[in-house]
Amino acid sequence: MRASKQIQAPTAEDRLAQLATAYRPLPFIPDEFVDEWGKPRPHWVKFLRSLGDLSDDEIAHRFAAADRHIHESGVSYRIYGDLSERTWPLSHVPLLIEADEWREIATGICQRVRLLEAILQDIYGEGRLVGSGALPATAITGSADYLHPLQGVRPPGGKYLYLYAADIGRGPDGRWWVLGDRTQAPSGAGYALANRLVLSRAFPGLYGDMNIERLAPFFQAFREGLIGMARRSDPRICLLTPGPFNETYFEQAYLARYLGFLLVEGGDLTMRDGEVHVRTIAGLKRADVLWRRVDSDFCDPLELNAQSRLGVPGLIDSLREGGVVVANALGSGVLEAPALMSFIPRLCRTVLGEELALPNIATWWCGQPHEREDVINYMDGMAITGAYGNPVLGRPARQPVVGMTLTPQEKERLAADIRRRGIDYVGQEVVNLSTTPVWEDGRLVPRPFVLRVYAACTPNGWKVMPGGFCRISDRADARAVSMGEGVQSADVWVIADKPVEMVTLLPDDDSVRIRRLMGNLPSRAADNLFWLGRYLERTEATLRLVRCLAGKLMDPDTRTINTGQTIDRVGALLVAWGAAPEELEGDAFLLVAQGLYGKEYGSVASLVGESRRAASFIRERLSPDTWRLINDLYSGLTLEPAVPVTEADTFERADAALRTIAAIAGVSLENMNRGAGWRLLDMGRRVERGINTCRFSRHFTGPEAAADDFSVLLDLIDSQITYRTRYLMGAARHTVRDMAVLDPYNPRSVAFQIERLDEHLQNLPLLSDDGMLEEPRRRVVKLAAGVATAQAAHLGTDEIFEIEQSLLCLADAIATRYFLQGPHAARADKTSGLA
Amino acid sequence: MIYEVRHVTTYAYGSTVTFSHCLLRLLPKDGPGQTVFVTDLLIDPAPARIEERLCFFGNRLTSLTIETAHRALRVEARSSVEVRRDPPPAENLTRAWEDIREEAFDTSTLAPDSPAHFLHPSRFVPAFEPAAIYAKESFGRARPVLAGAAELMSRIRADFRYDPKATIISTPLSEAFEKRHGVCQDFAHIMIAGLRGIGLPAAYISGYIRTIPPPGQPRLEGADAMHAWVAVWCGEEWGWIGLDPTNDMMIGDDHIVLAKGRDYADISPVAGIILGSREQDVDVSVDVVPQVQEEA
Repeated sequence: MRASKQIQAPTAEDRLAQLATAYRPLPFIPDEFVDEWGKPRPHWVKFLRSLGDLSDDEIAHRFAAADRHIHESGVSYRIYGDLSERTWPLSHVPLLIEADEWREIATGICQRVRLLEAILQDIYGEGRLVGSGALPATAITGSADYLHPLQGVRPPGGKYLYLYAADIGRGPDGRWWVLGDRTQAPSGAGYALANRLVLSRAFPGLYGDMNIERLAPFFQAFREGLIGMARRSDPRICLLTPGPFNETYFEQAYLARYLGFLLVEGGDLTMRDGEVHVRTIAGLKRADVLWRRVDSDFCDPLELNAQSRLGVPGLIDSLREGGVVVANALGSGVLEAPALMSFIPRLCRTVLGEELALPNIATWWCGQPHEREDVINYMDGMAITGAYGNPVLGRPARQPVVGMTLTPQEKERLAADIRRRGIDYVGQEVVNLSTTPVWEDGRLVPRPFVLRVYAACTPNGWKVMPGGFCRISDRADARAVSMGEGVQSADVWVIADKPVEMVTLLPDDDSVRIRRLMGNLPSRAADNLFWLGRYLERTEATLRLVRCLAGKLMDPDTRTINTGQTIDRVGALLVAWGAAPEELEGDAFLLVAQGLYGKEYGSVASLVGESRRAASFIRERLSPDTWRLINDLYSGLTLEPAVPVTEADTFERADAALRTIAAIAGVSLENMNRGAGWRLLDMGRRVERGINTCRFSRHFTGPEAAADDFSVLLDLIDSQITYRTRYLMGAARHTVRDMAVLDPYNPRSVAFQIERLDEHLQNLPLLSDDGMLEEPRRRVVKLAAGVATAQAAHLGTDEIFEIEQSLLCLADAIATRYFLQGPHAARADKTSGLA
Repeated sequence: MIYEVRHVTTYAYGSTVTFSHCLLRLLPKDGPGQTVFVTDLLIDPAPARIEERLCFFGNRLTSLTIETAHRALRVEARSSVEVRRDPPPAENLTRAWEDIREEAFDTSTLAPDSPAHFLHPSRFVPAFEPAAIYAKESFGRARPVLAGAAELMSRIRADFRYDPKATIISTPLSEAFEKRHGVCQDFAHIMIAGLRGIGLPAAYISGYIRTIPPPGQPRLEGADAMHAWVAVWCGEEWGWIGLDPTNDMMIGDDHIVLAKGRDYADISPVAGIILGSREQDVDVSVDVVPQVQEEA
């Protein structure tokens, strides 16, 4: 009995003890998991006990599921300057914080944001703090986010801050310290939400047992706060993004989708008569609130950075006229300067008449003679930072320089720099921040971290998100962590002392107006949807050519029956489409390989890349399933092929990709809301398919074409079986042409595409109500009539070519009517005119 | 001296422009030693909307919108200005530059004239250490600030070659500095970078200088176009004092002030957004004609 008991799996208690004993906190550094005597803290014991209930295998299994979920849902970020996105590294262990402690943090954060709002009001308003000497003017003007054009401009809505974040860390004294303020456009709240989703799915039981505070009510309140700023009911709230190449574009798209805001780029907006409007396919529509993720300086090329292409020309004019609410107000970023931190404790007393509840990391601004000499004299105990994010000693910007680590020469140089322009530097106390456990190779290890906490301005005052965005570093000093090599994020669990109320987020029936379509489609999104459709269809057509040719090469009959001409014709088409280089013409096998794997602009690999790019620009409009399928298609088609490349492999890959494309078409057909977005996507496909089918038809039913060519055409347009059931004899020119071009019952025919296009155009919004046909519709009606009345007997390649040209013109007409193209916003060049 | 100033800017576009939103800083205003009698602005095609206001730094700013399709835009600014400036203070009357620096750091106002706005890097004048090292040579211990600034101005005039073909407005300061050549705005930007680099407030002034020199004197550089120079802050008692590094002279009755800012970006005479054309040719002509003053 004894023996059998011993070989049983270890109990949760054993495992807990084992994890705790193996855990080695860093010397002299506080830790979240264990106290100073090495004893695990009670709330962590509870967490680890629940985790310990699971077997090793199950833990591994759940962690793997979490990672897979991250990968599949596309949670990602980008390192600045990098083209590809990276998968989100999420720690499997959350950061745990108890309710009592959290209340202190939340109270401190609310106080701090009230203070910061008051300081902003004063800086851009009356200027009493500067006038009285409480805040030196030069500490403000050093920030690139101090925007003098906004001096004296009261922000529409009356407020500066709507979403605020603070980076905090626990110091050696056990208290939480504010390390930095984020007042411009704090990032990370969306990642916090994504992290929560992943971790709560991986450990649903654990999450339920531990009474974790929910995040949703915070976002709901933030949303209500923004909506409440608009001057009309049912306002249009836009999330202004710098675009898909921004580091945190994923987060922006995710939040826009989650909150139901319209994701817009500067190019989507235009200022007219003091108001900001979104360019949509139904014309200009007013934007009430802009929640911006674009830095202030880039928001208005007319009055701020003239080089910016991310903003709205005239936005500041619109602010002067009260035409649009911008959150956070332009210029709010001025408070992010480390220089300001040295004044915060005193300002808290002056402005609020209160002591700072959550201490600020001790900071000395070297613009003042006394502080300057102190920083120079006690440099060894300090971290020197640019007062406005400027670099120190030529090191990368925002990276603190720790005095202790400098050589005597470097110290001397830094002291001279500080004496020359003290206003550019601050000294900050060096503190060792606490560590939190992460899971590494089956055990827990301590890592330093920084916690970002968020506060939102809601109709009921400031609310703090119960949780946050935790970045864990593998370096000793976690203060400079941004997402990059060796950094991971963690979910933050605030543990309530009693069961968390399941707040329903469903509003009252009365307060919601029923709507079936979501607003108007912005022109840029329309453009990308249309092109996504076109690229996907072009990918499909090229894949069909590749598969057809690979199939021919694999067919033993090919060697005996003379189909050489047909093979050449398929190959020639691959060259004509830019899928393979011209010099390969004649070598069918190389053409197939190049067409599939090659780098030419028309190769399958290139086209699928374009499809994915177009999709990435409108990610918030695609269902997660569609995005996943497009990613599958992309990774399947861009995988390095096995060497040597064979016909069979090529055929297989093309075949598999065609199935994925069918799945994408299926998902959009079955699941996509029949709004304008779906119509634009489908129009892209239809136009492209119509054009391609015309090309196929001309190419394979020309005067020299033989029975084998007709058969290839039927393959390419997927109509082989229909044809055989309809016509008992072999393929003939007129019957094949009729089926490919004129037959409105064949979903692959040109006529069918034209009918669908007409249907879509009829259902899109009109710009005026004068009853006249708009240009695209006029063209499609004419084309439809021509095709409907045409007869196969009189349909030669010239006539097919004419239809093809009309379709190309139609695509142009659609672009002109619905998209942004054409008027390029160019700045008047100012290169001459000065002595 | 009374001047008649005529400043014509013509844009020729490669294709039709359907919409244009411009900001003009072409009209001078009254200031110390300067009285503006008349100003006039002629714009073709006629704008749909035109407004005038003062920008933060106090410059006259004309904001206009053109909604008629056009292939060319012509802006003519005319003004009649009287200039009668007090001579600058003797250099030794100004305080030691270190004193001025500490006073500037401790400024307690964000008013447009406050040195606080002119101490930090700006768009066209980034932090550039070589310029600071260059400037520092003129600022020995406790030297009066204006003496140092005047010497720096003379050195720039001596060390740099005036060459209207060498740079365009987008040429970075570092390039003009390394190659030791440029035009007035390069010299102004370099001098500003040097002064700010050692902690002294410096502003960019745009304006004009007289086209026809007084008899027997050489024609000044930059007379047939807009000109630019520097103002350095010399403490509460003297305020801003103008120095022209292109001509190595203190600002006097030959200079007409148009606008003041941190650098060219704040005062660019014509800025804007147009819809419809990428190619454009710009032509600028400036006449500054002194009026013959009748004998009293």
